[in-house]
Amino acid sequence: MKNTAVKIATILLMITLLFGCLDGRELSELEIVIGIGIDSADDPDSIKLTAQVVNVSQLGLSGSGGDPDSKPYWNAATTGTTIFEAIRQITHKTGNRLFVPHCEVVIYSKDVAKQGLYKHLDFFLRAIEMRLTSFILIAEGKAGEVLDAKPQTEELPAVNIYNLVKSYGFTSHLYDVTLKEFSSRLISEATAPVAPLIKVVQEGENKDVQVMGLAVFKEDKMIDELNMDETRGLLWVINEVKSGVLIVPTPEESGVAVFEIETAKGKVKPEITDDGKIIMHIDIKLQANLSEQTTAEKLARPEIFEKLQDNMSEVVVQEIMSAYEKSSKTGSDIFGFGDMIHKKYNKKWHEQLEEDWEEIYKTIEFDIKVDSKITKTNLLKNPVTQKLGG
Amino acid sequence: MFGYLTRKINYYFLKAANDKANFRTNTGSATPVSIIAEPIDKDLSKNIENVKNVMSNSCDLAVHEFCFGYNRKHTGALIYISSLTDRGEIHKHVLNPLMYDSLMLKNNETENMFDIEDIGRSLLSITEYSVIIQLKELIEKLLSGSSILLVHGSTKALAINTIKVETRGVQEPDTESVVRGPREGFNENIKTNISLIRRKLKDPALCIEEMTIGELSNTKVAIVYLKTLANPKIVDEVRKRLSRIKIDAILESGYIEEFIEDAPYSIFSTVSNSEKPDKVASKLLEGRVAILVDGTPFVLMVPMIFAESFQSSEDYYSRPFLSSILRILRIIAFFLSILGPALYVALTVFHQELIPTQLLISVAAGHEKVPFPAILEALLMLIVFDILREAGVRLPSAIGQTISIVGALVLGQAAVEAGLISPIMVIVVATTAISSFAVTPQTDSSTVLRYFYLFLAGIAGGFGVMMGMLITLMHLASLRSFGVPYLWPVAPLNFSALKDVFIRAPIWKMDKRPSALKWDVDLQRQSRNLRPSPEKQEQ
Repeated sequence: MKNTAVKIATILLMITLLFGCLDGRELSELEIVIGIGIDSADDPDSIKLTAQVVNVSQLGLSGSGGDPDSKPYWNAATTGTTIFEAIRQITHKTGNRLFVPHCEVVIYSKDVAKQGLYKHLDFFLRAIEMRLTSFILIAEGKAGEVLDAKPQTEELPAVNIYNLVKSYGFTSHLYDVTLKEFSSRLISEATAPVAPLIKVVQEGENKDVQVMGLAVFKEDKMIDELNMDETRGLLWVINEVKSGVLIVPTPEESGVAVFEIETAKGKVKPEITDDGKIIMHIDIKLQANLSEQTTAEKLARPEIFEKLQDNMSEVVVQEIMSAYEKSSKTGSDIFGFGDMIHKKYNKKWHEQLEEDWEEIYKTIEFDIKVDSKITKTNLLKNPVTQKLGG
Repeated sequence: MFGYLTRKINYYFLKAANDKANFRTNTGSATPVSIIAEPIDKDLSKNIENVKNVMSNSCDLAVHEFCFGYNRKHTGALIYISSLTDRGEIHKHVLNPLMYDSLMLKNNETENMFDIEDIGRSLLSITEYSVIIQLKELIEKLLSGSSILLVHGSTKALAINTIKVETRGVQEPDTESVVRGPREGFNENIKTNISLIRRKLKDPALCIEEMTIGELSNTKVAIVYLKTLANPKIVDEVRKRLSRIKIDAILESGYIEEFIEDAPYSIFSTVSNSEKPDKVASKLLEGRVAILVDGTPFVLMVPMIFAESFQSSEDYYSRPFLSSILRILRIIAFFLSILGPALYVALTVFHQELIPTQLLISVAAGHEKVPFPAILEALLMLIVFDILREAGVRLPSAIGQTISIVGALVLGQAAVEAGLISPIMVIVVATTAISSFAVTPQTDSSTVLRYFYLFLAGIAGGFGVMMGMLITLMHLASLRSFGVPYLWPVAPLNFSALKDVFIRAPIWKMDKRPSALKWDVDLQRQSRNLRPSPEKQEQ
C-alpha cells in the first residue's frame, strides 16, 4: 500500500515536471496572421513580406477601450531574401512569433509571379503550422496595397478577400485555388497552375478590392491572364462551375434572355485516334432557369425553349473554346488534358507526347457536347410587357 | 535544562498512555456486562433496580409500579422510556385493562396471572407484544420504544410495542422533483418507507429482511427484493456484506454504502440511491436489491450500472421522444461538465489552429487583458464557483439568494470588467456548472474529473485530455457492482438493452428485463406485440 502510494506520487511528479507545458503558448503571446502578401523589393534578390496581424484589442468583444481611428489589423512589413527570413524578421516589429495556421490568403504581386513563384512557395508548403487550404492569389499592383484596402462590411481585409474568393460560385468567374491545388498543378508534368487575380479599385475615396479572372502560369512563372468568360470556359471543363449568369440571345427578336446556372456537370474523355489525332470529348450537362429577359416575346414555348437551349449550348462552347485558344497561344495546359491522356494512354504519353506536349497541346481537336436544359422560368411565365410586343 | 525537558516529555508520554488505558476501562464499565447477561429475576424490585442501573438512572426512564388483579393482590411494574413511547396508548391499552378490567375477574381466575403470556393473550388490547426472558433483550426492547411489563414472581416479561415516532409526512423529495409522476417520497421512518414500497408492489414475492446494524445505534436496516426476480446470489452477497459491518452507529445510508461498495477508492459510486418509492419499485422489478436504513429517506439500490446515472424516473412517464432527447442531452451535459474547462485550456493554449479563425479572434480579444495563463484563470473560476455552490447549499434559502446575486455579479461582471477573467472563460465555467447539475447522480464524480482533466490539459493539452479519458474509460470498464459490469450494456455490448441507454424506447418495446441481472428467471416482462394500433375492421 505504502509502496503503491510512493509509486503513484513519483509518476505524478514525473508527469508534471518532465512534461512541463509541452509547446503550450498563451493566446496573448500569439500574433495571429490572417493574410500574407509578397511583393518585390528594391533589391532584386529580396522580397518584401507583408503579414496582416489581427489587432485583437481593437476587435474587443465589449468594445471597451480602443481608439476608433486605429485599424483592427496591422500590416507588418519587412524585407528579406527568403520568406522564412522575412517572417522571422517581423518579430523585430511584433515582439511575438507570428502564428500562421490561420493565414487565409497568400497574395503574390504580379511582378513576383512573373519572375517565378517556386522559391517563394516552398516555405508555405513545408511549414508545419501552415495550412494547404489557404487561398493563393495574384495581385495586380502591390500585394501590400491589396491587404490594406479596408473593406466596408468586414473588419479585416484578409478575411474579406477570403470571402470574395470563397463565394466565386455565384458567377464562376474565378476559382478558389488553394496552396494544395496550386502546388499539385505545379508538380504535374503537363497541367499549368492558375491562380485568381485580385486588384484594388478606387471608388471615390474608398479603395475596394475586386477578384476576377485567373492568372495562367507556365511552370512557376505567370505568363498570361484569363478574363471572366475564359475563366468560366476553363471551369466548365474541370467541372467547377457552381452557378453563374448566362446571357443568351433570343431566337426571334434582338434581345437577350438571361439564365441562372442551376447545376452544371462537365466530363472529359480523351481519345487518340488511329492516325494520331488527339480528340477531347467534352460532355457538359447544364440546367438553367430563366431569370431575366429583355425582350417582350413569349419565351415560354417549347419550340422557343429548344432554340434557346441550343443558343445556350453555343455560348458555353464559345466560352470553352475561348479559354482553349487563349491558353494554346502560350501552350500552357490549364485544363489538365495532358494528365488525362497520361492516365489513359500511359505508354503513348511517355513514348510520343511527353516531350513536346506544349506543341501538341496546340493541335488538340474538340468534340464538345453541351446538353442544356431550361428547367423553369421562376415566378413569371410570360413577361409583363407582352402587350407591347404583341 | 535538557534533563528537565526529557523528564517533562516522558511525563506527558506516560500521562497519555495512562489516559488511554483509563479511557478503555471507563468505556468497559459503562456497560455493565455482568448484569445484562442475567435472566429476569423473580423479584420485581431487583429487576427494577437492575434496569435502573443499566440505564444509568436516565431521567426519561419511567418506572410505574402498580397493583392489579383480584383484590389487587398482584404487583407489577411497567417500565418505558417516556421520550420514545406513546403514553396515551399505554394508558388506554395496557394500564386500563390491567388495573380496571382485571378487578372484575374472580379470585380463581387470577391465579394464572403469574403466567405473563396469559396477560398478553387475554388482557391487553394491543397487537404487538413479545415475551422476553433475558435482561439484555429487555434493554434492547426498551431502547427501541417498547414498554416492558414485569410481574412480581414471573421470570418472564412482556415487551409491548407502544412506540411513538416523530416523523415527517410523505412529502415530495427535494432532490428528485418531477413534473409528471408521483410526488411522494420516503421519509426517515423505515416502516413508512417499507409501506410505500409495498403499496407499489402488491405481490407476496416482495421479501423484506430486517437486520440491526450498529453497536450503539442499533439501526434497523431492511433488505428488500422480489424473490421471483432478484438473483439469489446477489441477495446473498448483500446479506453477507451487510452482516460484516461492525460499527458503533449507522446514521445514514451513506455509511452502509461505503461499507458494501465494490470499489471504495473509485470516484464513481457503484451503489445508487433514491428518495422515490416509484424509482425503487422499478429497480426492484428489474431484479435489483434495495437496502432501506432507518433514519434516512435515501434508499440504496444494488447493483448499479453507469447508464442509470442518465436515467430519470420521469423519462418513463413522459413520451419517449422527449425522453430520448433528454437522455442524449444529459450525456452531452456530462461530457461538457467534465471536459469544458479542460478543452478550453487545451484549445486556447495548445491547439489554437483548431479554432475557427473568427472564433479565435474573439477568444483572443477576450483574453487580451487577462494577466493569468489560461489554466490559472480556469482554476480560479472553478474554485470560486465550487465555493459559491458550497456556500449556497449550506445557507438558508433566504441568504442563499444573496450568495447567488453576489456570485453572479462578482464572477460574471466585475471580474470581466476588471480584466481578471475573460468573458469566454465565464461562459465556459457557467456552462460547465449548469451541465454538472443536469446529471445529478454523477455530480460528485464529475467535479473531481473536471479538475483532473483541467490539470492534464494544462500539462499536455489535447493529448493529456485524451490520456485522461483513456484512464477514465479503462477504470470504468474495470468496475463491477455486485458482479455486474459497470458499463453494461455498452461494454459488454447488449443490443436489446441499449433501448434504454442513449434513448428511451417506447414502453411496449422494452419487453425484456435487463439480462445482466438474470439468473434462471424468465426475462420476458410483458407480452410482445403490445404496440397499440387501430383495430382491423372485418368486412
